[in-house]
Amino acid sequence: MTFARRTAAPNGPPGRTLEHARRHVATWLTAPTWVILMALFAVPLAVGVYLSFRSENLSSLGGGEFIGFENYTREVLSRDFVAALRTTVLVMVIGMVVQLPLALVLAVFLRWNLRGTRFYRSVLLLPMLLTPVAVGLMWRFMLNTDLGIINWLLTETGFGAVRWLGDPASAIAAVVLVDSWQAVPFLMLLLLAGLAGLSGEPEAAAAVDGANGFQVFRYVTLPMLKPVLLVALMLRLIDGIKLFDTIFIVTGGGPGTATQTLSLLDYRVGFTFLATSRGAAIGVVLALMTLPVYFIWRRVIGVEAR
Amino acid sequence: MRTRSFRRSLALVAALALVLTACGGDETADTTAGPAEGGGDTEKITVFLIPSPNATAITALADDFTAETGIEVEISETPYGEAHQKQILAFQSGNGQYDVVQFDNTFLANYGANGFLEPLQDRIGSSDIYDINDFSPAIQDYGDYKDDTLGLILSTEPFLLWYRTDIYEELGLSVPETWDDYLANARAIQESGMADGQILGYSTPVNAWWWYQLVWSFGGDLYDDDLNPTVNTPEAKAATEFYVETLEASSDGAISIGGDDTTNQFISAETGQMIQYSGYHPLVVDPETSSFADVIATARVPKGSADVVHMAGWNIGIPADSTNKDAAWQFLEYVMGKPNAKRFLEEGAAAPGRISTTTDSGLLAETPYLELLNIPAEVRVERYPQLTVYPEFEKTVGDILANILSGQTSIDDGLAEMQEKLTDVLAAEPR
Repeated sequence: MTFARRTAAPNGPPGRTLEHARRHVATWLTAPTWVILMALFAVPLAVGVYLSFRSENLSSLGGGEFIGFENYTREVLSRDFVAALRTTVLVMVIGMVVQLPLALVLAVFLRWNLRGTRFYRSVLLLPMLLTPVAVGLMWRFMLNTDLGIINWLLTETGFGAVRWLGDPASAIAAVVLVDSWQAVPFLMLLLLAGLAGLSGEPEAAAAVDGANGFQVFRYVTLPMLKPVLLVALMLRLIDGIKLFDTIFIVTGGGPGTATQTLSLLDYRVGFTFLATSRGAAIGVVLALMTLPVYFIWRRVIGVEAR
Repeated sequence: MRTRSFRRSLALVAALALVLTACGGDETADTTAGPAEGGGDTEKITVFLIPSPNATAITALADDFTAETGIEVEISETPYGEAHQKQILAFQSGNGQYDVVQFDNTFLANYGANGFLEPLQDRIGSSDIYDINDFSPAIQDYGDYKDDTLGLILSTEPFLLWYRTDIYEELGLSVPETWDDYLANARAIQESGMADGQILGYSTPVNAWWWYQLVWSFGGDLYDDDLNPTVNTPEAKAATEFYVETLEASSDGAISIGGDDTTNQFISAETGQMIQYSGYHPLVVDPETSSFADVIATARVPKGSADVVHMAGWNIGIPADSTNKDAAWQFLEYVMGKPNAKRFLEEGAAAPGRISTTTDSGLLAETPYLELLNIPAEVRVERYPQLTVYPEFEKTVGDILANILSGQTSIDDGLAEMQEKLTDVLAAEPR
């Protein structure tokens, strides 16, 4: 009734009033989402920023005090932070280099719809269904130098045993291996969906024009798949920045700090050392570091929409 | 107009969000653990336990305590990983959520410095049931922080030497009394090809525990009375060199072996000897969990230039904000007192080292290692460093040791870095 009266109001064009009313209703309809988002995200983030400028410590009864940027200069300029940043980037880059091509190859194979495809697709998706902690524990046992099945297999087949979790380089490799084992199925599914959505006509036309299979894939399929590839890349980038559970379970950040990522460092400082404010400072920097990813993400989504 | 409307909507959303956040906080506190009903007069106590053999034994005795006294006992268990954070939050709230708390000795300093726990020395001094003199003098202060006794001794778990009697016999080895003997035995076993020479914990941060023992045995210390680190000394260097040498007489994967893994390695793979806490005894001698249960024996940890043993363990105490302190003490006397000490062990607890149990012929026939918990007065007992910043201290030491063990840094450079970093860590310790 009210709605009808407003659309008929003589003060302005009816279409504009209708648009205004629609916006008003939309604001109220989306309000619950905003409330939840702000309660679960914005408020804790604001509290985190506030804490990062103070000297709060979970283990101390005495109230903290405002100390400006001291937590930032102490934590963010530390050798541990730089090392953790390097490890984060290293694991992320190696992971993407390994995972994306592998997922693409698997997706292309599955797209061919050869015999047994349904079975292979189900098997390949299994790792995605498991929780990272369970996966981490399973791999930790398998990677055990003395008792693990992987070294047993290597030894039985004439290769030497590898100190998977005892050497910095092999520990990084182990982390990438476990992370890839879980991430590749998801990427594969994403790329398979992208491939399924492609029109087959340009590929057929290229084939008619004499392009071989590789050329069709390289010059026709791949460019058409670019938006999906970019989305996959962005998702892995975000996952890489927040990678925690796998490393926590498989290597614990070791040997030493060889596989300690920024998320793990933040956890250690905030929850193991109980240094709440110092942990908050690392968390704030970590959040700031993900901001560019957000803008790239928006751009990627834009590319995909076009 | 539209802007004002948008601002009004935004303000409302923000206000609702704040209300929702505030409500969330209250709910979390409510579900953490309900406070004991009523005030100091109610006959109900809430006991915070951390899953462990000792927690199982306490739970087993709780029903009998209720039957005898009429005091209800509500048990709340939280895994080790979150236990101390949860306790700290409960103490800070000051609501008297718990009347009895089990905690790791590494948190004693933290709790003591903040006044989280009730001093117990007066109650202990006047209790014949608890009988503090039933503990050897070397461990009577295991729950002490500065001038107060803040925790009863729930378990004392010294490092022991564990060795394979069949391998020792085959190679004609004798039980080592010194660290040099220990390493010589390890090398002999390793060279024989029968088994890996030995195993210690080498992965971060638990490697720090074994390294502390070596530093103390080699005559060094971790820091001085003014809290200046003393880890870049000839003694610490000798201890670190020795620690690295032991790795060479270990399995290929020893470098990534942590606390529990050390024992798992010893009981499941051919390994000649191990240094490990006594609390693992039930696991090691149980044929269902140990492949070598009937050929494992224990002895005192070897000596260096100093005769010292590192001791881990649990404490149990009464939070300062408890509203049922008398009932809580009654409960502690019952489960930790001398009359129930034997039953406490029979329920599966790691021994708290009472003389009455460690000299009990019946118990000794079953578990000979109990005798080793009777630490002679001339042996120095070293706990974990009693520091409020201990978690950071341990992690710093552990990370650098891991780098030394994996060859990423030299012993000299590593110890210099450790000295520098620990100086920063200890600067935050309350004087």
